[in-house]
Amino acid sequence: MKWLLKLLRRRHLESDLAEELAYHREMRAADPDAPPFGNVTRIRESMREQWTFRWIETAFRDAAFALRGFRKSPGFAIAAIGSLALGIGVVIAIYTAADDLLFRPLPYREPDRLVMLWESNRTVAGSEHNSVSPGNLLDWKSRNRVFDGIAAFYQAPTILQDGDRAEQFHAEMVSANFFPLLGVQAFRGRLFTEAEDLASAQSDSLVLISYRLWQTWFAGDARIVGHRVMINSLPRTIIGVMPPNFYFRDRAVDLWAPLGLDPARPYRLVSGRYMLAVARLNRALTFARAQSEMNGLAAVIERENSAFNKNWTVTLEPLRDSLVRSVRTSLLLLLAAVGLLLAAACANVANLLLARYSARRSEMALRLALGAGRGRLTRQLLTESLMLAALGAAGGILLGHYALIGLVALAPEAITHSAYIAIDWRIVLFAVGLSAVTGSFIGLAPSLIVSKPDIALDLKRTSAWGGIRAWLIAGEIAASVILLTGASLFFRSVVKLQHVHSGLNPAHVLTFRFSTPAARYKVADRVPFFERLIERVERLPGVRSASAVSYLPFDGMAAGTDVKIGGRPPADPGKELGAVIRTVMPRYFETLGIPVRRGRDFAPADNLPNSPIRFIVNEAFVHKYLPGEDPLGHTISADMDDSNPFGAIVGVVGDVKEGSLDKEPEPTVYYVHGHLSYPSLVFVVRTDNDSRGIIAPIRRIVHDLDSALPIAEVRTMEAVLGETYARERFSTVLLGGFSASALLLAAIGIYGVLAYSVAKRTREIGIRVAVGADAGCIVRMVLAGASRFVLTGLGIGMVGAFAFSRFVSSLLFETGPHDPLTFALTPAILIAVALAAAYIPARRASRLDPLRALRVE
Amino acid sequence: MSKAGARDLIQGTLDMLVLKTLARGALHGYAIAIAIGQRSAEELRVEEGALYPALHRLEVAGLLAGEWKLSGTNRRAKFYRLTAAGRKYLAAETSNWNRLVAAVARVMETP
Repeated sequence: MKWLLKLLRRRHLESDLAEELAYHREMRAADPDAPPFGNVTRIRESMREQWTFRWIETAFRDAAFALRGFRKSPGFAIAAIGSLALGIGVVIAIYTAADDLLFRPLPYREPDRLVMLWESNRTVAGSEHNSVSPGNLLDWKSRNRVFDGIAAFYQAPTILQDGDRAEQFHAEMVSANFFPLLGVQAFRGRLFTEAEDLASAQSDSLVLISYRLWQTWFAGDARIVGHRVMINSLPRTIIGVMPPNFYFRDRAVDLWAPLGLDPARPYRLVSGRYMLAVARLNRALTFARAQSEMNGLAAVIERENSAFNKNWTVTLEPLRDSLVRSVRTSLLLLLAAVGLLLAAACANVANLLLARYSARRSEMALRLALGAGRGRLTRQLLTESLMLAALGAAGGILLGHYALIGLVALAPEAITHSAYIAIDWRIVLFAVGLSAVTGSFIGLAPSLIVSKPDIALDLKRTSAWGGIRAWLIAGEIAASVILLTGASLFFRSVVKLQHVHSGLNPAHVLTFRFSTPAARYKVADRVPFFERLIERVERLPGVRSASAVSYLPFDGMAAGTDVKIGGRPPADPGKELGAVIRTVMPRYFETLGIPVRRGRDFAPADNLPNSPIRFIVNEAFVHKYLPGEDPLGHTISADMDDSNPFGAIVGVVGDVKEGSLDKEPEPTVYYVHGHLSYPSLVFVVRTDNDSRGIIAPIRRIVHDLDSALPIAEVRTMEAVLGETYARERFSTVLLGGFSASALLLAAIGIYGVLAYSVAKRTREIGIRVAVGADAGCIVRMVLAGASRFVLTGLGIGMVGAFAFSRFVSSLLFETGPHDPLTFALTPAILIAVALAAAYIPARRASRLDPLRALRVE
Repeated sequence: MSKAGARDLIQGTLDMLVLKTLARGALHGYAIAIAIGQRSAEELRVEEGALYPALHRLEVAGLLAGEWKLSGTNRRAKFYRLTAAGRKYLAAETSNWNRLVAAVARVMETP
């Protein structure tokens, strides 16, 4: 603490020293024999060196000096700090996202041994990751020799009710070995046992809740274990709370209940493939060995159950791969791009500092002559670069934070649903360390050059640097051309996608999910109940029509099955007629704006259980399976239930581009709800104006009908459609951001190199002006110097872009990888930016006063 | 620049000479420089650039205590005096020095 006191007394010490030296000088002046007095400044400097706090003192002074310097040349400061902030910000944002998705170990015991098990159909393309039949899973479990355990799970929408509160949550049914397999313990209470799991097939009674649910819904109630709640209208006891942040594949899950797989049940006869399976690979086995062993087992099971399992085998997939399946390559590419961007930022700052120091060389020489130590001078330059790095890091963290928020908001849910993306202290530490290293590196290089006394050597070295730097800038330009080309291609794709007609009219349509628990609503009760709900909603002011559907289009999966056409022989194996199946309530087509092309919509009479079964199909169905025939005369049957009577096609409706906008519409068969009912439907409501105004009245109606049932997943149809563009939009914004950053860095780089060369050639330019060169001539000369490396970079970049764009062609929509507009615009934009960047130093050169220029140095 | 024959002092030796000079009583910086010059018959000359840093170093180390007083010419000057620690340090340095000089002398006198 002593140094602090001294620091405060500093002014006092300084004046004491001045007085002491003044006295000495006076005494000596009075003495005729005394030799002349020494260098007072040097005495002062070396006195100050003695004071123990000098390093803080000088650090503060250097920092203040550096800040003053930045204020005096704001262009330099903004360019350098901006370059670093941009580089570091992008690094933070992308690495944070990548860290969570790719590198951070999954929070389970030995996560590398965990694999997902999928069923795969050899005859259906794209079916490698199909969900699993409980019957097959039980066989794998009892007969495999490669896994330490196989756990099963699947999600189900669930209504939690406690007293008079009711809300829908994501629940997962899991087998008893699920948590032990992952190596996860309960945070409070306990997990359920094998016996309890098996017993739950008869009577559900236990549930585990998430830490989040415990904190938010139950306010962290200490007596939560043993608390009784209603789940889907059945009484259950909470036996435990899972640890904070526990999740498996989906962070939205709040409830876990026993799955109740019963080995005695003939699942293959009564149900399809709907479960997910995770297994722990035996430590003695490799992944490839396990896959081949399982293939053998699957072949045996296929032979034993040829009706159900024909063409079905099993696929193993490491857990991590299953989470980032589609984005892994693009993330790795991004990381490489980010590294390049940061290198460009550092190169820029080094360029700018060199330009600045060469302009300040005479100042440095003066300060050396006035008694500044060489070490002090180097340290001061270092302080200046570290200050730049610190300010750059601060700006970068801020930028990274907002970039990350934007990134997560724009990212398709498929990428973010399993991730918890937030900046943590390790990333910040990484960025600060990075900028410190960058700072001292870029600070030391120029300070070595500047504080070197040998000017001849110094000049030689900088000219060697000059060549390297011109190449660096050319590289920066090439990189930004490639990124710019990519961004432009994606942008054109998105614009084209926005103009594709989806087949429905999403404006002013509200959607929400509503489920009826099987415990209180029998199958026969559902249809009248949903009809009553729709009737009440349609009576609300501002509502035009309302209906419901089993699977909303553009919202992920839908049911699919094989269809038979009346009067035709059954299709050959492998050539079945596949179709998407949707169940709707009457007026569904009207509500979503899907046109009825032939025949009619379902009428309320079709919805009665004893009415004859009737179907509506889409145009793609007619086009593919009934070409050139009148569809209204035909009967069809779809394999959806135990018995599937043939029914007449009563209407043909327009195609909806289901799944994704850039895919062709699939043949679709619509059932009416009365003949194929679901306990849970998505409701669609068309209103006159903004549809969000009717959310509250709908909640009141639902509460009125059954106060224990909530509505969930309330969204506008436009938001649902928006998710479909998410991937393309995400790529566009990401590449757009990258190319804008790269372009900006290249511009700063061009500026830095030219500013440096103008500063170095001040005398030469002065002579040219003195002998009669006009301003335009000087500008042309400087621009000609720039054009050499700009054109080199542009050429390399265009070749690179031409080659690179082929790799993204599968991601583009109706835009060729060598889109002429893109390849014409990109160089134009780049040349415009390069001209703007070069113009500032060129103009400065043209305005040099020849007299002053010649007096330099 | 310095007088012919005058010797520059090695660091460490200066500290000892300053302490010795102050053993007889408090002096200000200029007087210390003069005193060392006179006692060495102008053989040793103290540079200001070395003296003042040495004085402050010794003061920080607690071997000297500085105090502002009026000088003979009625001007304010900083007078330095030995502290108890300084006296002890001087005694130790003196015996070290004597041993060193004797040892060097024996080496040099060997024919």
